[in-house]
Amino acid sequence: MIGLGHYLALSAIVFSVGVFGIITSRNVLKVLLSLELLLAASNISFVAFSRFNGDYTGQLIVFFVILVAAAEVAVGLAIIVLMYRRLNTIQADELKEMKW
Amino acid sequence: MTLIPFFFYLCAAVLVLASLFVVLARNPLYNVLALVVVIFCLSTLFMLLEAYFVGMVLLLVYAGAVLVFFLFVVMCLNLNTPSLITAKQNRFRLWGGLAAFMFLAGLFLALKSFIAAQNLEQSSIRGTIEIIGKILFTEYLLPFELTSLLLLIAIFGIVSLAKGALYFGKEESTT
Repeated sequence: MIGLGHYLALSAIVFSVGVFGIITSRNVLKVLLSLELLLAASNISFVAFSRFNGDYTGQLIVFFVILVAAAEVAVGLAIIVLMYRRLNTIQADELKEMKW
Repeated sequence: MTLIPFFFYLCAAVLVLASLFVVLARNPLYNVLALVVVIFCLSTLFMLLEAYFVGMVLLLVYAGAVLVFFLFVVMCLNLNTPSLITAKQNRFRLWGGLAAFMFLAGLFLALKSFIAAQNLEQSSIRGTIEIIGKILFTEYLLPFELTSLLLLIAIFGIVSLAKGALYFGKEESTT
């Protein structure tokens, strides 16, 4: 029988993979994709808790997370496009205009 | 009923493999497509948990709109140039792996004590669109309306960024 622990363990694994991606990737687009992985992992635990506690609040929070993530992705991708236009690269190391 | 564990393990395996592919693949196009697979597995897991509405919204909004937007940007920027794919992409790989592993170990320790502390049984709630909609428009009406404000602010941000790009372009062309 699949219990709450199975879902939480899966969520923990996906979250760690996302953390690994954020730390290691230089590509800004990939950092944004890893951020999506973090949100996906937290969504799994929200829905699992909602199911096992018999409370609908978790599913509503997932709904709001999806909305906020959509706004975040739109702004983030706009910034990436601007960065590519100005610097002709999307590597995070190239952003050193504010370095002194 | 006996099929549920089979589907859970299948989805879990595909989910973990696809998320690793999102992180490790070098081609940005493959990263985005792997994330589509992740979203599909996530939606299936939500269906197994009988959260039908949230699963469908995830599929429609994420796989349908957000990831297509990602793909559009990848195509638009022409990121599939060989120099970018072969460029060294990973610094801190050792430290990142170590940090993620420590994080995972900490999470599992916390989970172990938590699961031992309380033994929850599967309830029989079903997240159909009727129930979720009813709660959304009564109890959570204010946050729901505030998200429209958030989306409006995001639109303002994007438009002002695009305007700024036009402005910079003009300035560079005249000088």
